[in-house]
Amino acid sequence: MSIEALTLLFFGALLFFLVLGLPLTFVLGGVSVVFLYFTWGFDSFFMVASQIWSTMESFTLVAIPLFVYMAMILERTGVANDLYRMMHLWWGGVRGGLAIGTLGICALFAAMCGISGAAVVAMGTIALPSMLERGYDKNMALGCINTGGGWGILIPPSILMILYSLITGVSVGKMFAAGILPGILLMVLTTAYIIIRCYFQPHLAPALPPEERATWPEKFRALRAVILPIAIVVMVLGSIIAGITTPTEAAAVGVFGALISAAVYRRFTWALLHDAAIRTFKLTGMIMWILFAAHAFSAAYQSMGAQELIEGLMQMIPGGPWGIVLSMMLIVFLLAMVLDPVGIMLITLPVFIPIVESLGFDPIWFGILFVINMEIGYMTPPFGFNLFYLKGVVPPSITMQDIYKSIIPFVLVQVVGMGIIMVFPDIATYLPELFF
Amino acid sequence: SAADKFVWKVQSHWPGSSSSYTDSLERIKRIIEEGSDGRMELKLYEAGALFKAKQTFDAVSRGILEMGTISPAYAQDKMTLAGIASGLPFAFRNVWEAAYFHQGLGFEKMLREEAAQYGVYWATDKVYPTEMVVKKPINSWDDFSSLKIRSSGALQKFLTEAGAAASYVPGSELYPALDSGVVDGAHWGAAQGAYSMGLYEVAKYHVKPALNIAGTDVIIVSQKALDKLPKDLQDLVKQTLEEEFWFRTNEYQYKERLTLAKAIKEDGVKVNTMPKEVQDRLVKTAQKMWAEEGERSDRAKKALDMLKGYLTDLGYL
Amino acid sequence: MLTAFMNGVTRLNDLVGRWVSLLVFAMFVCLLLEVGFRYLLNSPTVWTNELTQMLFGVYAIMSGGYIMAHRGHVNVDLLYSHLGPRTQACVDIFTSSMFFIFTLALFYFGYEMASESVASFETTYSAWNPPIWPVKVAIPLGTGLLILQGVVKLLQDIAIALNLDYYKPEANTTGEHS
Ligand code: NA
Ligand code: NA
Repeated sequence: MSIEALTLLFFGALLFFLVLGLPLTFVLGGVSVVFLYFTWGFDSFFMVASQIWSTMESFTLVAIPLFVYMAMILERTGVANDLYRMMHLWWGGVRGGLAIGTLGICALFAAMCGISGAAVVAMGTIALPSMLERGYDKNMALGCINTGGGWGILIPPSILMILYSLITGVSVGKMFAAGILPGILLMVLTTAYIIIRCYFQPHLAPALPPEERATWPEKFRALRAVILPIAIVVMVLGSIIAGITTPTEAAAVGVFGALISAAVYRRFTWALLHDAAIRTFKLTGMIMWILFAAHAFSAAYQSMGAQELIEGLMQMIPGGPWGIVLSMMLIVFLLAMVLDPVGIMLITLPVFIPIVESLGFDPIWFGILFVINMEIGYMTPPFGFNLFYLKGVVPPSITMQDIYKSIIPFVLVQVVGMGIIMVFPDIATYLPELFF
Repeated sequence: SAADKFVWKVQSHWPGSSSSYTDSLERIKRIIEEGSDGRMELKLYEAGALFKAKQTFDAVSRGILEMGTISPAYAQDKMTLAGIASGLPFAFRNVWEAAYFHQGLGFEKMLREEAAQYGVYWATDKVYPTEMVVKKPINSWDDFSSLKIRSSGALQKFLTEAGAAASYVPGSELYPALDSGVVDGAHWGAAQGAYSMGLYEVAKYHVKPALNIAGTDVIIVSQKALDKLPKDLQDLVKQTLEEEFWFRTNEYQYKERLTLAKAIKEDGVKVNTMPKEVQDRLVKTAQKMWAEEGERSDRAKKALDMLKGYLTDLGYL
Repeated sequence: MLTAFMNGVTRLNDLVGRWVSLLVFAMFVCLLLEVGFRYLLNSPTVWTNELTQMLFGVYAIMSGGYIMAHRGHVNVDLLYSHLGPRTQACVDIFTSSMFFIFTLALFYFGYEMASESVASFETTYSAWNPPIWPVKVAIPLGTGLLILQGVVKLLQDIAIALNLDYYKPEANTTGEHS
């Protein structure tokens, strides 16, 4: 069977079982096994077990349970709630103030963590209940967490950028530097979107009624709530920047900070710690089982000849250099709907990069576009990992449909950001040229 | 006809940007495909695409994959010779010595015999040195023993026993760890490896001499797949792999020098030769560790004795 | 009898989950120790990072059954949530084929991998060189627990589909979504 037909069947089967409500991990795993059987034979199931084994051995993923645990403790001790109360008191008059504050926290999280799953789950735990409690529209709250949570792979450190460098041979340092300004750009654009939208539709993110707004002494007293979170951020970021820890180890420093916070809040009890540990286990396990199956799925797709499909597609593309780059972005966008980023990179980059370079484009600039695209792919319906991670933390009253709907305007904003970087490559290339 | 065409899946342990992916693997692909008049086709997969490095030996052994590339260290659990193959620290001083040990004295043959027990045809891709890059130069024993070095496997044990603080950092975190100073030094192959990982951007001293010189890259072929080929194609594969060793060992040395020259010119890298005092102490520690590798099996003992005899002949012991 | 089996499996997964969830502490302590040893004492250990990685592997693979028992594996509920309970049960019985294909394949090859590893008392051959077989054993173990919970789910679905009224669904919604 041709790879084109296989691709249609493969992804068709995926969507079919997904719509029937089978959990994602079993859809990915089951479809991989069935297709491996027909294309490669029984023995190839060893590959599924082998992919799962190597995912279990991936050291950088250890950051997930630790960052999630940190968030769980902060939520349970009330630190998170106090933080949002403080933001509300200070920015009570600004429509959408909490959403903007959430984006800021997301960006800090992104600077502490090189992967995206942990941030989405952690922010879903901390930020979502706080915003809903204060009358925020659920689409607004979900959308901004989903967007900000994905920045972890764009703002350094970033495991995906390191992988991009390994596959393409560009400098890791330059990639890291190149991610900073685009990260800020996306933050500014998303913030602007929230301000404008909430200005015209105040019910989405209500300001605090004037009579409830705090007096200055109250505001300053509330400021105490940021001391602990800021201390944690300083500890985590500081230990990475000062060369005390690797990014993964920094996650343990974050847990340490959260435990100190629990003690300060006099909530340092076994019951709380175990409860937080169990919720962490459930969420991390959910992410890990999705990753297990996702890695098996993309390995299965590669064994069927995914790369030949991409090579074939590239030969059919008309429209000069820009047409080619846009088509590449479209292909990545589509693949990001159904494959994990590592798989997408292994399939597409070896085909794309020689073409990009021969057209005279900067591979660093292309890498930034690629990473943003990947981050958008995380949040685009029907199939984005961030969506599923978020679904794992939200209360049952929020359905997948809500999450899908919430994403649309935010995706458009990110696409606009990507367009701006396409047109003004300096946003990506300025810092790396300055530093190196 | 199409029925006579043999399509092999080949899983690499090199990422696509690695020079060996092109120079070793694509070279083999080209020669075999041309030499077979298109009766064979090799489909190459980048590191991790189908199987991760540590599982490739198993996959080839089971015949799921027809061919793969590994480092001997990934087959440690099966191959008792793997420790010696992936390099005893401070044994050889020149690349040609390691090459002759493999092909002239018969170490390669011993490896091939041991791998055959698992249905694997073993062919060393090349021998080359493993060298460190560090952020501050090593000019004394104190300089060395105060280093925090990113290492792995046998060399991590060696460096620790020698007195440095060696820790394992996964490849994906190596650059930021070296950049921020979590570690002050690392080894990732030699010059080409360090260059491909961008390590010269953050560590400006290339340390000589090599920590070891060994057959760190290996091509493995499933015996089952090999047996399915007609005789002429079997010969073609084996002969291609045999030539590969000599060609690549030589070419790799050339590219090492080229890369180092480039790093010196573009990144301001300096070659840091460890003082004799440091070298002597390292050699002493190393020799104590060799004995352990000989204890793994009779085969390993025989190989170690052969190695010691060889080094004695060369006047090093 | 069948109900006893179903409740037993769910309780077993619950118990395993409550204990394995504590591994997050162990990972935290290991990493913090490593930072302390390396930064404060300048003597990094050979074992902390590797032990953390091994604990994490066990932690992740053992979670499958517990999460299944608590309906924590996410799905797409677009169409599904509009179906009645009996239709849902019928659909689940159909889609469970995929579940069993995946998990049984994983169990079979995980078992093979683990028994090979146990037979040779496989170690990691790192500088620390600890035994790796206990972690590999966790693959068939964790998958086995997941499969058992999948059987429980299938039995429940069959009961609902056939309108057997002895079935009480509270066994799998214990105290989540707090
Ligand atoms: Na990041
Ligand atoms: Na998507």
